[in-house]
Order: sequence, then C-alpha cells, then structure tokens
Amino acid sequence: MSRDTAIRTQGLTKYFGRFEAVSDLSLDVREGDVYGFLGANGSGKTTTVRMLLGLVLATSGEIEVLGRPMPRSGREVLPHVGSMIEGPAAYAHLSGRANLTLFDAMAPRSRRTGRKDRVEETLDRVGLGGVDERPVKNYSLGMRQRLGLAAALLRKPRLLVLDEPTNGLDPQGIRDIRALLLELNADGTTVFVSSHLLAEIEQLCTRVGVLDRGRMVVQEELAVLRAPTGRILLGTPDPDAAIAQLDRLGRSVEQHDGRRLAVRAADAAELNAELVRAGIGVDELSVERRSLEDVVLAATSAGNDTFARPPRAVQDAS
Amino acid sequence: MIRVELSKLLRSRRTWTTIALIDALPTLVGVLLAVTDLGPRPGEGPAFLSAVLTDGTLFPLAALAIVLPLFLPIAVSVTAGEAIAGEAAAGTLRYVLVRPVGRLRLLVAKLVAAMAFVVLTVLVVAATAYVVGVALLGDQSVQVVGSTSVSGTSLSTPELVGRTFLALGYAMLCMLGVAAIALFLSTVASSSLGAALGTMSIFVGSSLLLTLDASEAIRDYLPTRYWLAFVDLFRDPILWRDLQAGVILQVAYVAVFFAAAWANFATKDVTD
Amino acid sequence: MTSLRRWCVVAVVAAVVVAAPLLPRLVPASASDVTAAELLSRVQASGDQAYSGYVETDGAVQLAVGDDFSDLAELFGDRLRLRVWWQDEDAWRVNRLLLSGEEDLVHDGERTTSYDYERARAVTSRDPDIRLPRTSDLVPPSMGRITTDGADADEVSRLPARRIAGVSAPGLRLEPASGQTTIDHVDLWADEETGLALRVEVYAGSSAPVLTTVFEEFSAAGPEPDQVADTWSGQVERDFDDTVDLADAANQYAPFRVPRRVAGLERRTAGTGAVGVYGTGVTRLIAVPLREGDADDLRESLLGSPAAVATDTGTLLAVGPVSVFLTSEGFSYVLAGTVTDETLLRAAEDIVAGVRLRGRFE
Ligand SMILES: Nc1ncnc2c1ncn2[C@@H]1O[C@H](COP(=O)(O)OP(=O)(O)OP(=O)(O)O)[C@@H](O)[C@H]1O
Ligand SMILES: [Mg+2]
Repeated sequence: MSRDTAIRTQGLTKYFGRFEAVSDLSLDVREGDVYGFLGANGSGKTTTVRMLLGLVLATSGEIEVLGRPMPRSGREVLPHVGSMIEGPAAYAHLSGRANLTLFDAMAPRSRRTGRKDRVEETLDRVGLGGVDERPVKNYSLGMRQRLGLAAALLRKPRLLVLDEPTNGLDPQGIRDIRALLLELNADGTTVFVSSHLLAEIEQLCTRVGVLDRGRMVVQEELAVLRAPTGRILLGTPDPDAAIAQLDRLGRSVEQHDGRRLAVRAADAAELNAELVRAGIGVDELSVERRSLEDVVLAATSAGNDTFARPPRAVQDAS
Repeated sequence: MIRVELSKLLRSRRTWTTIALIDALPTLVGVLLAVTDLGPRPGEGPAFLSAVLTDGTLFPLAALAIVLPLFLPIAVSVTAGEAIAGEAAAGTLRYVLVRPVGRLRLLVAKLVAAMAFVVLTVLVVAATAYVVGVALLGDQSVQVVGSTSVSGTSLSTPELVGRTFLALGYAMLCMLGVAAIALFLSTVASSSLGAALGTMSIFVGSSLLLTLDASEAIRDYLPTRYWLAFVDLFRDPILWRDLQAGVILQVAYVAVFFAAAWANFATKDVTD
Repeated sequence: MTSLRRWCVVAVVAAVVVAAPLLPRLVPASASDVTAAELLSRVQASGDQAYSGYVETDGAVQLAVGDDFSDLAELFGDRLRLRVWWQDEDAWRVNRLLLSGEEDLVHDGERTTSYDYERARAVTSRDPDIRLPRTSDLVPPSMGRITTDGADADEVSRLPARRIAGVSAPGLRLEPASGQTTIDHVDLWADEETGLALRVEVYAGSSAPVLTTVFEEFSAAGPEPDQVADTWSGQVERDFDDTVDLADAANQYAPFRVPRRVAGLERRTAGTGAVGVYGTGVTRLIAVPLREGDADDLRESLLGSPAAVATDTGTLLAVGPVSVFLTSEGFSYVLAGTVTDETLLRAAEDIVAGVRLRGRFE
C-alpha cells in the first residue's frame, strides 16, 4: 500500500433532518485506482459524492481528498478534481463551446491564454470536436452527457469523480466513455465512478465499494472479490459417465444440472485430462468465479428505495 | 467570476428584451405627449411629466419617475431573484461551486451583475428619453437658457446635467437595495420565481404601508420610503434630507440582506 | 464560522442599523428655568426673528367643504412638508414640497407671490386685510404666535423641555380660559432665546393632537437675501392678481359690512369689509359671504358628510375642533372657526341681523 490516498473518509455521516442518508462511511480510494462506488437507488451515493466535493456538509466525520481536508481546503483541492454529479448541466442558451469557456474562466487563477485551445482539446476528447454553435438546449441527451464530461476534464484533473457518467448513453457511447476513462487512468488519473450498473463497474474498475442504506458493506479490490471459488464448471455430452468417473477419482460433484456439472477442483486442465483419458468428452470448461452481482446481492438487502409497507399485524379471525 | 457573470448577463437575450420592454413605456409616453400635447393635471402623474412639454431635456427625469416605482424594481427582482435559485434549478450551481468558485465570491459576483443590469437599464432609459425629449418634446420655439428648478429658479445646463446624473445614481442605489433583497430570497427559495415574487411583494407591501397612517412608526424603515426623493435634487437649494436618509437606508438594506444571503448560503447544502 | 455564528452577525448588523437612527432621541434636553409668562411673551414677540428650516405638519381635521376650500381642507387634514426661510415678517419664503413639484409662497414687503411648479406660474398679489389660512401660518413659529395671540399669563404653564431638531426647547401649555373655544389646550416648545416655537401641538379633547407642526431641521440663521427674493426663471409665467383668495375677494367686492361684535367676540380687523374675523388666539371664527352658486355647492358638500345637521337657519357641520355653519336665510354667509357650536350659531344670528349693505346702497 505505498500509493497515496486520493480519497479517504472516516466516520462520514449525513443526516437530512432526521433521515440518515449516509452512515459512518469510511472510503479509501488510492491514487491510480479506478474505483467503483456501487449501491442501489437511494443508498447515498450522490450524497457521498456531494460531500466529497463540499456541496453538502457532513453532519460528522472527516474527509480527505488528494491529501487535504475537505471542505476546508476546497480552494486548493477542487482545481485538481473534475466532477460530474447527478447528470450534466449547462447554461441552456449558450453553445457547448461558450459553456466550457465560461466554466474555464470561473476557476480561480484561470488564465485567458490557451483557453480556446483547452476548450477545443477537451471537446475533441469527448467526441464533440465538430459540434456547431447550436445552444445546449438543442443538444441530445448523449451530447449533454459528453459536454458534462468535457467540463469535468477541462482542467486535466488528477482525480475524476463521476456520478453515473453513462446515464442516457447508447452502447457505443458507453464504450467510448469507458475507453476514455481507462485511457485517462493509464495516464495517471484516479477515477471514482458511482453507478448501479454492475456490468459497467465490473468492466472498468479495479476496486469497488458497495453502499447499502448509507453504510459501506464491501470495499475490496475487484480481483479479490472475483477470486476463483475453487470449483470448475464443465459441460459434457455424457454426464452420467462423467459423474461415475469423477466419483471414482474421488472428486466431489457439487452440482448437476442436465449436462452441466460443477466440480470441486483446483486445476481445470488436470480435470480435463482425467476425463478425456477416460474417454469422456468435454465441450465446456471454465473456472468458476463469483460475479459482482452475487457479491453485491449477498451483501445488500432489498432495494433502498423500495418503501414497502410493513406487513400488517395478523388479524385474529375467531 | 465577476467578469463571467457580466458576460453571461450581456450575452443573455433576456437582458436586452427586458431593457427594451422597460424602455418602451416612457418612450410611448413621450410620443403620446408629443402628439397630443396633453400634460397630466397638476398633482397627478409622475414628477416632471407636466414640465417636459415646455422643456424636453427634463424627459429623462420624467422617464425615471415613470419606471422607478414599478417597472424597474420588477425587472431587478426577476434578474436578481434568479441569481442563486436559477442556477440551482438549472443544475449549474453545483458545477460553479466545484470549479471552485467561493460561495461569498459567487454572491458578490451575482450582486455586481444585478447592479450592472440596473446601471445598463437606467442609462438606456435615460438616453432614449433624452433623445425623445429633445427631438419630440419641449417648446423648440422658445430658446431658453437653462431649465427651471422645481422651486422656480433657473438651472444652468451644467447644473441640470450634474443633478440628472446624481438622480440616476440615486435611482440605481435604490435598485441595489431591491437586488440585495432578491439575492437573499434567491438563496432561500428553491425557485427563482419565488424569489422574484417575494421581492416584489416586499416593495409593493412597503409602498402600501407608506400610505397608511398606522404605519407611522416604521415608515422610515420601509425600503421604498425614499425612492422618489430624487425629485429633491431639483429643488433650489437641493434638499438633502431625504436623499441622505435614502442613501443610508439603501446601504443598510444592502448590508443586512447581503449579510443574510451570505449567512444562509455559506454552508447551505446544495442538493439540486 | 458556523451557521449560527453567521446569523448572529446578521442579527447584530440589523440591530445596529435599526437602532442607529433612534440614538439621537436619547440625548436628553437640558432643563430650563424660564417662567411660563416670560416664555409666552417671547413666543408672542418672535415675528421678526430670523430662522430657516424644514417643517412637517400633520393635521387630523377632515373638512368636507368642497372644491372651493380644498386647499384649506388640505392644510388642516393632511401631512405637509414645508421648507421655510424667514428673515422677518416682511421677507420670507415657505415652500410646500409635493411628490411631483412644489407650491411656494414668497413674501416681499407688501406683496406675496405664490408659485406652482406644475402650472409653471407665479401669481403676485398685494397683502390683503383678510385672507384664509395658508402654509406660512402652519410653520411652528407662526402657529405659536397665532395660538398664543391675546393669551394671558394665567392661561399658561410650563412643560418640561424637549429636544427638537437638535435644540433643547422649554415647553409651554396654553389652556384657554374662554369657554367659547373647542380647543382644549395647546402644547408648544420654543427656542428659549428667540421665542421661536419649534413644535406646536393643538389638542381638542382627545389625547392625540388634531394638529401638529414641528421643525425636523432648524437653523437660527436667517436666509441668504436672494432666497427670499423674486428669482423666477424665464420659463415661469408671471401674473398679478387683485385678490389672494376667496375671502379676500369677498371682503373687497361683496357689498356688505359685517358688525363689530358677534357672539361676544370682537372683530379683529378695522375697516368696512364684507368679511369678518372675530376673536383672539384659539377662539377665532371667520364669516365670509358667498355667492348663491358657491353657497349651494358648499351646502351640498357639507350635507354629504354624515355629521352635518340642518337647522332652521342653516347647515352646521362640526369636524373635530372646527365648526362650519352656512346660513340659509337672508345673505349666504359661511362661518367657520374653532369655537363651540353654540357660539357659532349665535355668531351666525348676529351676522344675519347685523350685516349692512355698503357702497352706493349705504
Ligand atoms: N436534500 C435532501 N433532503 C432529504 N433527503 C435527501 C436529500 N437528498 C437526498 N436525500 C435522501 O438521501 C438518500 C440518498 O440519496 P442519494 O441521492 O444520495 O442516493 P443515490 O445513491 O445517489 O441514489 P440514485 O442511485 O437513485 O441516484 C435518499 O433516500 C434520498 O431520499
Ligand atoms: Mg444518485
């Protein structure tokens, strides 16, 4: 753990009135990570992101971003942080270019020289380089999303904090964004992405944190979460023979579902060789890993936003 | 940030539409006066309007007296009421704050922008009115030296110009008070319409209270109390009493409401 | 800084700006040992003391007397803002400030010029023997002189000093001995040295004054000479009028002569006019003959008020301290004053009985 921390929180808690939106949260994001922040609707992801950026004040707890306390050091920290919070926003009557120029000019100590180049370069990065001067109110959802990302990238941040960055994008767009984020990460940018799309996180992130009703339930390297379970999944045209042979070999078949078998074994190649030697064909073979979905569903309770009515007291019908 | 706010203000089409609309009323009044040659009856109608039929150079003041009680403050309430609530509703507030733009700095920039709007509007109204007044109004056949003060003495042209600019400045200050109230409400209300309506109800209510004897005790604290005191600049000698009180009152309003805006906004949760 | 601390700052700022204007009122007035009689005589003799200032008046007498007398109704029923420059009885200027203009009176020797900004007109007339009240009568020094006119030392007592427009002013209460007036008492505070009244409050029974006039700004320095001179700009239309107001016109042209005494009150003016002003101080009434048309208009206005009473001899309307009676038999005379109804009715009888034709009918 020699890398510096990009985001660290301790005992972060936020009450909205008497409602506890985030509870005793301890985040730990290191520089160079692509951190996936997972959680069901209403679990407190956006609230956490807002607290990291100083938009919402924590009720208690400490936040450190890029090694400095937040929100106290916002002036020094935030210029190095690019962010997108709950969807993009821009001045609707101005063009995307004008919007970026304004956002660039707002930052403290922003210099006028090179502003135009910065804007054009960023537009190119998100694939809006060729956009005309139409006002943002005429943009499509995807264009707005890209513009929002451009605003986040404008100042070449060391840390990107993105709340659901792919909302509303088509598959191609999602792939573009993913590629862009990975490219930025390769150049040394730490990326913090919140999402409830497990598949997206799975493809992008190196570390994940899972939030459930404002509490952190899992925080681990993705590789660890997805370590092999010690079982091998195989498919065979002759399952009965295979089961008999495996029994003979002293291997336990833990699941049997038609022509698919789950076998406790460490080495897939060895298992394959044993079966083939016994004249049993194998047409599918893979090491079983836990999916992120399993991890998340195992760790979390029912949806945070589903306010189901509590079961009614049983009526005594006599 | 101030520069950004100003550029946003100047680039917004709404700014110019509003100014054009405000400007339209005194211009229309000027044209109608010129066509019909019918001044208001004494004691009725805004200040100076009866005088412009003989002296067109007074029309900027008459125009000011026309827009100051209602039109201008409404426009200022709408513009300044939008300051924070409008950005919040558009979602841009959070992106502005994480630039980062300090919250106090944002408030200052918003107030300056509102002030710029006021200055721009007042100058446009005064300039148009001057052109209308000189071209259409006044009795061109009588080449008089200077104008007449409200007290009946003559005012030289430099005196008139100087006092006119003082009057414009005074009106701008009064509108700054409105802007400060609107800015505060804008940090409280979740919609800019709410902030604008709140501000309007404050100055409409204040104007109403001024007409009641029962409100004697609080009269001198009402925001609209001295709005029309700019007329006193044209008495001879100038009656500074109400003007001074008006300046102090407006400065106090700006101080209190700006402080309140800051107190409310500095640690407000931005969740829109 | 926490939110609470910031709001405390705001509260402190607000408290300071609210309280600041009230601070000057806390400065106490210095006590004075001038006697009531001495103060009274100084007030009565203050006519030629120079001063200038800004005056606010507040009248609560709502006279329903129609258009001909609307100026008069405003004088006693409205708030007036006046600027005054007073050199002496012969040279003064009183500007009535309006939201959209001014109505000014400039007095210069024997002549008074009244100027109206919105009409862009200045009308000059010579000083009449008799006229209706005008704004210059409402400034505190004039009001002080008018109300204490003819008062005796045993009618006045001292009131504690008050600070008015920055001046510490000993107070005087006048309780008229005459049973004929509707005025209960008059409180005034005057500059001790010059006797210029700075604040005058007229009470008619109730605890709130029916008329208050007070300096909000006061300077014992007189005006610059050109302040009270004729300085109208070239755009102002100049005019000359033989009569100042309706009373003056009637006095000069109506072919009557009023009696010397009515209801036991002496006529104040010598001469043989058709208009009479009777009484002294706050026991005062005026009788003015009206033309038939004007009398009908006035009668209609008076009867429009629910307080009006029609008697066999005319129409009576008492509003606060002021009673108005319009005769209906013989000549149409309107009598008005701060006297009791009984006095006014008696005066009306005396007028009707005592009026003589003059001029060539004499
Ligand atoms: N301003 C607020 N006042 C009161 N409650 C709030 C406020 N903002 C958020 N909440 C509550 O806090 C909880 C967490 O909200 P948050 O927006 O952080 O969820 P989220 O994880 O971002 O959800 P989603 O995935 O739907 O965006 C929700 O139950 C929400 O109702
Ligand atoms: Mg969210």
